[in-house]
Amino acid sequence: MIEHVLGALAAVFELHTLALMTLGVTAGLIAGAIPGFTIAMAVVLTLPFTFGMTATQGLSTMIGVLVGGLSGGLMAGMLTGIPGTPSSVATTFDGFPMARGGRPGLALGIGVWSSFFGGITGAVVLVTLAPQLARVGLEFGPWDYFALVMFALTITSSLSGKALLKGIIAGTLGLLVAAIGEDEVNGVARFTFGSDAIRQGFAFLPVLVGLFAFSQLLSDVQDRDKARQALMPRGTKAVRVEHRKAIGEVLRRWTVVLRSSMIGVFTGILPGAGSSVSNILAYDQAKKASQHPEKFGTGTPDGIVAPESSNNATEGGALIMVMALGIPGDIVTAVMLGALLIHDVVPSPSFISDEPVLAYSIFIAFFFAHFIMVTMQAVCLRIFVLITRIPMYVLASVILVYCAIGVFALHNVGFDLWTLFLFGIVGYTMRNLGFPLAPMILGVVLGDIAELNLNRAWSISNDISLFVTRPWSAFFLTLALFSAVFPWYQRDRNRKKWTVFYLPVFLLVIAAPVLAMGGTVRPVLGAGLVLVGGYLLWRRVKPSSSNPDA
Amino acid sequence: MGRLHTDTLIAIFLLLFCGVFLAASFTIRETSYASLGAEVWPRVVLVFLTLLSLGFLLQSLRPDRREDTPARRDLRQWLAAHTNAFWCFCWFGLFLTTLPYLGMLVGGILFVYATLTSLGRRDLRSHMVHAAIAVISVAAMWALFTYGLNVFLPEGTLISFT
Repeated sequence: MIEHVLGALAAVFELHTLALMTLGVTAGLIAGAIPGFTIAMAVVLTLPFTFGMTATQGLSTMIGVLVGGLSGGLMAGMLTGIPGTPSSVATTFDGFPMARGGRPGLALGIGVWSSFFGGITGAVVLVTLAPQLARVGLEFGPWDYFALVMFALTITSSLSGKALLKGIIAGTLGLLVAAIGEDEVNGVARFTFGSDAIRQGFAFLPVLVGLFAFSQLLSDVQDRDKARQALMPRGTKAVRVEHRKAIGEVLRRWTVVLRSSMIGVFTGILPGAGSSVSNILAYDQAKKASQHPEKFGTGTPDGIVAPESSNNATEGGALIMVMALGIPGDIVTAVMLGALLIHDVVPSPSFISDEPVLAYSIFIAFFFAHFIMVTMQAVCLRIFVLITRIPMYVLASVILVYCAIGVFALHNVGFDLWTLFLFGIVGYTMRNLGFPLAPMILGVVLGDIAELNLNRAWSISNDISLFVTRPWSAFFLTLALFSAVFPWYQRDRNRKKWTVFYLPVFLLVIAAPVLAMGGTVRPVLGAGLVLVGGYLLWRRVKPSSSNPDA
Repeated sequence: MGRLHTDTLIAIFLLLFCGVFLAASFTIRETSYASLGAEVWPRVVLVFLTLLSLGFLLQSLRPDRREDTPARRDLRQWLAAHTNAFWCFCWFGLFLTTLPYLGMLVGGILFVYATLTSLGRRDLRSHMVHAAIAVISVAAMWALFTYGLNVFLPEGTLISFT
């Protein structure tokens, strides 16, 4: 193991890689700070630059962009009240009042150092948990993988807003897009409609850039007047970050940092729920746990520490899923997966043992990018203020042609540009009709994995009951089922009687496959789930319950 | 009869889409060696999509159960809301069509200039600023990819630089 870590250290700390990472962090900080630009878009747009790099360099650069993007959002939120990314929405609640109250340097400092400590905590959990989860992943058969993909799709759909049905339709459309072209197992062409170009299927990058970046840019310039205005109000000024004071403030709140980071990590592990969810969850929890909840929203440091620690830690959690199981949970990690595939690395449970140097390079890059982020924040603040004077329509026009160049660079095939155009139209239309794009993108990425595993399962046995009798498969299918019902549970909670049974029934049902998993720990865990579920159910149904619904 | 809700139109479109693809799935070549034919998975996906579309159609016909689709607007409002996107799509389509003739560098510059002018102001100063932005940004990207990353970008048959 030591030799792999040393090999990874040598690869990451190579001057060229460090320079690329610094460039990536800087680009991420700036992109994250611009309202309308999401972190996912910054990572998507970085991908074409990584084709000519080694896998370590490419992934380190993308991780740099990711970490920079997560921390960049706070700059805009604190200085102008407009969060740069959805990951920094909750930061604005207290960061902006603190900055307006005459302490912008301290507000920024607390944000930067909370991001740093949150990210480092996420990195530690990533290093600890990913190899363990990968070991569990080695137990998975094709039935279990297929069920895991179904769970990833249903939970992404159910967490993508009120429109559950639209989310599932989008995810299914993504699966269909992935099925177009030659099938991977038999080499038979599908849905080509007589076109030779479609025979190879749609390449992942043009579909992703079209669906996500192209349509996002067009949505950003939809309002003619807004598109012509500068991104930020004039008069936005760079300030000096008060690092020393900020470190003290953050370290005094180490419990908030730790709790929020854990919320971030576990939100990241859950497919579909990214940093846009975790920052609000962490803020809410910090407010509930605080002795002075009334101070939240007026510029209290706790209100900055909680969301900023959690959003940086979230990506550590999301990386765990990709590295341990090869299943991306959000658009950012889907792009990371795409980057690995471009370099002929297929993430799977055996990824860490097959490619140890690359795996440890990812760990180290994620860890070290946070140090670069702290260093570059002060520099980027000045660049950010300059960039905010540019109107959105200028940025969008230039980035559109960059998308074309980047997509063409992938395979040097003109058809990819038409794919970009087609999926740009599809993405823009879907956005405007209220369809979430994240499930569709995950559907495109996971479609091949689902089909391949279904094929493998069928080749081994045509007994369909294995999908429900194998513990892991039953576990994931149960999660998929309950996550599909989750939006209705949220809607009817405290209003309809059936919702009081949702949690106990879920615990009792999920306990069955856990009990069947064998070993010592898991059956004990399963028994615990039965006890908790049974107790909750008893409380819900007993006549003297304090719950008025029971 | 009142106007159809947008969701209803989407559901009908999805059902037609599923119909076309289901029909196309019967043209997929069957192989004797496969344990699971190449047509099985797409058909499973399509049948599921058809069921979802039917559910969506039924939901859209119940006024109290419509999902959060933006309200329908009249044609003028609709065009006004999407004018900028239409310009971008038109110019991008033209850029791709002329790419074999103009190449990435010249085509890209013209695309950026045309898009900037369509979306931005159109006075003389703006035209000059747009031209400068187009030339500098596309030339820089072209140089970066061509010389920095060794990517061979398409050269036009009409305008070539080699």
